[in-house]
Amino acid sequence: MSTTQPHARKLNAATRRAPWILLAPFLVLFALTFVLPILTAVGSSFTRVTRAGLFGEEGVTSGFAGFANYAQALGDGNFIASIGRMLLFGVVQVPVMIVLATILALLLESASAKWPGLFRAAYFMPYGVPGVIATILWSFLYVPGLSPIVDVAGWMGLEVDFLGADTVLWSIANIVTWSYAGYNMLIIVAQLKAIPNELYEAARVDGATPFQIAWRIQIPLITPALVLTTVFSIIGTLQLFAEPQVLSKVAPAIDSQFTPNLSAFTTAFAYNDYNVAAAQAVLIAVVAFVLSFVFLRLTNREDS
Amino acid sequence: MRTLTRRRVLGLGLGAVAAGMVGGCSTPGTTSVNSLPVIPPKAPGEKITLTYWAWLKDLQKVADIWNRQHPDVQVNAVWIPGGNSGGYQKMYSALAAGGGPDMAQIEMRSIPEFILVNGLVDLARYGANDHAGQFDPTLWSQVSFTGGVYGVPQDSGPMGFYYQTELLDEVGAKPPTNWDDWRAVATELRKVDSYLECFSLSDASFFCSLATQAGAEWLTPTPEGWLINMTDDATMKVARFFDKAIDDGLVTTQISPFSPAWFAACSRGGLAALTGASWADALIEGVAGGKGRWRVAPMPRWDTGFGSSYWGGSTTAVLSSSRHPKEALEFAVWLNSSPEGVNGLIENSGIGWSANPAHIGTPRQQPSEFFSGQDYNQEIFVPAAKQQNADWSWWPITQQSFNILADGFRRKATGGTLVDAVADAEKKILTAFTNKGLSIRKVSA
Repeated sequence: MSTTQPHARKLNAATRRAPWILLAPFLVLFALTFVLPILTAVGSSFTRVTRAGLFGEEGVTSGFAGFANYAQALGDGNFIASIGRMLLFGVVQVPVMIVLATILALLLESASAKWPGLFRAAYFMPYGVPGVIATILWSFLYVPGLSPIVDVAGWMGLEVDFLGADTVLWSIANIVTWSYAGYNMLIIVAQLKAIPNELYEAARVDGATPFQIAWRIQIPLITPALVLTTVFSIIGTLQLFAEPQVLSKVAPAIDSQFTPNLSAFTTAFAYNDYNVAAAQAVLIAVVAFVLSFVFLRLTNREDS
Repeated sequence: MRTLTRRRVLGLGLGAVAAGMVGGCSTPGTTSVNSLPVIPPKAPGEKITLTYWAWLKDLQKVADIWNRQHPDVQVNAVWIPGGNSGGYQKMYSALAAGGGPDMAQIEMRSIPEFILVNGLVDLARYGANDHAGQFDPTLWSQVSFTGGVYGVPQDSGPMGFYYQTELLDEVGAKPPTNWDDWRAVATELRKVDSYLECFSLSDASFFCSLATQAGAEWLTPTPEGWLINMTDDATMKVARFFDKAIDDGLVTTQISPFSPAWFAACSRGGLAALTGASWADALIEGVAGGKGRWRVAPMPRWDTGFGSSYWGGSTTAVLSSSRHPKEALEFAVWLNSSPEGVNGLIENSGIGWSANPAHIGTPRQQPSEFFSGQDYNQEIFVPAAKQQNADWSWWPITQQSFNILADGFRRKATGGTLVDAVADAEKKILTAFTNKGLSIRKVSA
């Protein structure tokens, strides 16, 4: 007994060391590309650069700013408006997309579906098109003079303006839905495939219609996937950038602060105010966190 | 105990690394290259390569003319997206990261923004003022601040009045010589269901050029700091004029110049004219079926101010990342003032108006078939380039200021006025200056 004790301790030490060694590559990259940039951004958001003279030729000082950058970001009506715009966008677009993705998934997984593999691939395909390319493709359908849709509507006496001040947000929502509905569908399909066959058999024996199977068995069992895709979509909405940025070339209604991320981008790289941009970025993260948290809380309460 | 210690050590280590790096990362652009000693010229016989970031088409072909004559100083032109469409963002990122090219194309109005982040080399320290005589004095003053020279003027855009002869003849109008005439012609054209011009609410640069023409000086650098005066008589006159023109439906705000809709409207006669810069000629030549239908007249005048104005214009600036500012300056001067440089830029890159008044470029000294056989460059734009508001100065947050103005102008569509937008913009720009710690005050009436 006394001889095994040191040996066991040695083994124990090696066992304890192993996970750290195995985790090290991940931890190093995680710290360098994730933790550190976040800390830098938070640090930067509390820093302020003051320049004296016409261009700072009489001295440049940087110091602790307290919440001055946050106050400036929150005092910027356009930035607040961009967050409000994204909330409106999310309230409409996220449910539409998730419902669409769920219907597609249920149809593909239903017993009467024909060529589900082909259609699954077809619905998923838009996700493979980069957001920038997708926006350029769609812009050809939006721009008056180029768009066949606008032309056809014109022949029928309808005047449609996809890029007007009131409509452009929904034109972007359409692009985003087109891009991501298939991706979300795939996550839901994966969860549907995990439902044991016995449940379906039991339901059929009990005389359940396909609709009842979907409503009473499939949907309750894929709730985790629905929650996951919804949270991802909420976060994605607040991070909207490429689509409005590309579309702004053809839509004058999209200004340089149309979405929160565009606003931070403009502040950092067009106005050169990295510190206020950092404050905006932190605020976007906080809003995304709060929304995701509230949503998870609400869905958890429903479960229990 | 041992795991706890290890975890604690690891945590402390990571924390220390993070703290060190956060501390080391100061906000970019807070140190100045112009307080460091002058970089000496390259040693004789040493071979160097300069990089020039610009959004000019086929610039390398022009650089190759120089490269053939200067085997030791080779210039490599790299294409970047234009200005604020991604080019400046790329430059700012490169400067923040401590890299970047030797030279970059920077618009006249953005020079002070790059000075603010210590992104530019003061070329006066490398003898730039010896070349001042080769350049338009108004443009030279727009790159000179606080005793330094921060770029070599590359091109500009003196403004004129482009019009379709048939459409003006239809209502018996001549090209307007002043803005009251302009209003009368616009009113006549509305009767034949045509607009004289469009007015974009999403871009304030046209408005800014008109205010400059009327004699405005929005921001003035003084030894005591910046003086702001955007609500002067000249600017307010322009704002009121276009408020009324828009309210009376004399201009369309639905169309932006050079958009697909604009080309279509010009082509079918829905738009008759454009008050625009010299570089608009190449764009107007893209109007379908426009050949022989257009002419150019001098810009309409206000009752105060100047005969013309500048719209646009860029420089070749030497970035603080350059290790060979002296050679970069020599290339920039050659490119933008020598006959072969200017001709090369016109032929290959379709550059704007030459910054060298002594050489407007050989291709621009002959009649144009498109513009009804008119020798419009010599007839209209040579005099226009001489009738400029020489006191106009750009300021360190022009892009932000133009965005603020455009945000205000967009409100015109929902019942606001340009007059209010300008007054409101003045307050916001003042705040933006103060937020950066720059000294600024409103001019006392």
